[in-house]
Amino acid sequence: MKLSLFSVLLLAAWALSATAASIAAPAPGEAATSAPSSPSAAAHTSAATQASATSQASAAQSPAAGTGALPAGAPNPAPSAAETRALDEETQALKKDVVDLNRDLYVLEEELLYPANTQVAVFVSMDVGSFFALDSVELKIDRKEVANYLYTPREVDALMKGGVQRLYVGNLKTGSHELVAFFTGKGPNDRDYKRGASIKFDKSIGAHYIELKINDRQHRLQPEFEIKDWGE
Amino acid sequence: MFNATAMSVHNSSWRRVLALGLLAAGSAAGADAADHPLIGRPAPDFALRAFAGGNVRLSEHRGEVVVLEFWSSRCSTCGAQLAALNRSYATYRTAGLTVLGISVEDSRRHAREFVQAHRVGFQMLDDPGEDVSRLYEVDSLPMLVLIDRSGTIRDVHHDFGPRDEARYLLELRRLLDE
Repeated sequence: MKLSLFSVLLLAAWALSATAASIAAPAPGEAATSAPSSPSAAAHTSAATQASATSQASAAQSPAAGTGALPAGAPNPAPSAAETRALDEETQALKKDVVDLNRDLYVLEEELLYPANTQVAVFVSMDVGSFFALDSVELKIDRKEVANYLYTPREVDALMKGGVQRLYVGNLKTGSHELVAFFTGKGPNDRDYKRGASIKFDKSIGAHYIELKINDRQHRLQPEFEIKDWGE
Repeated sequence: MFNATAMSVHNSSWRRVLALGLLAAGSAAGADAADHPLIGRPAPDFALRAFAGGNVRLSEHRGEVVVLEFWSSRCSTCGAQLAALNRSYATYRTAGLTVLGISVEDSRRHAREFVQAHRVGFQMLDDPGEDVSRLYEVDSLPMLVLIDRSGTIRDVHHDFGPRDEARYLLELRRLLDE
């Protein structure tokens, strides 16, 4: 009984090993790349091989043709300097187009968000500024806070070099309005300094521009805060 | 014999528990980093007053690797994390690393006391209206935000453990090398 069981197991092991061997060996159809399975495929493969061999031979025979036509599978050569330059110019032109498009979109967005007949823009400028180190500007229009801007040392430097910052842009209906600006910073002798300035202006049809100017009043050794209405 | 078997079973169950715990911790850490909605998005710009004076604007640090650390005096691990960040900042500031500590504090007095108690080389900023905390969706403290040189948020970490300093260093080096 034991012997018959052992023989059955042995047979099963042999059968399994035979199956594994048949799986591991390539099937006749799978070996088409090396040995075609059918006569037509064999003819096709041999024709292709002959064609590629002919083209390689002709390429080798004529140097002019050899430079133009590369054998299949050969790596592409590095682009020449002229090609690289052309590609670089094309990239730069594309970049310029993108920047121009971005600018046009920005202008369009501004025109849509702030139409000219309701637009109010407030700018900040600084002249000298030796008596005042600007820290922040709080802006109120008709008692409503519309901007509260903190200035970094870099931004203050830019203002002192003549830069003008657009602090606020918004929409207002036509009529009379009041603008109040609070300037916070360090005044003379490095003391905390806060001053306010206000202006009443009439908004008519058309964009309205207002400038907040920080000047030095030399004879009093104090800063001066002025609001200039540029009108339309 | 029985004791030995019981011991081995006990050991194996402990190992299993330990492995599961480590796996859970690992997945939690992974989720912590991957789930924050701001990862991969441009870092929102802000300007805040520094406790030492002056104002700081994030956009002025474009081109540098920026670490934002949201802290509070009520947070138990914030002090340790700030100390770890201070060490990294001292090492890598010349390579273009900027660290900004942002207070998420109800009491200004407590925030100032905390800043005085934890002297660091980088800027500690005051966020009185907690606008920046809302902007960065701070939900637990401490929270660390890593911003790459192009201004994109690359990673967000919550909590701080003993092994986290080495982990942060690896991430910082990778960002600084980019």
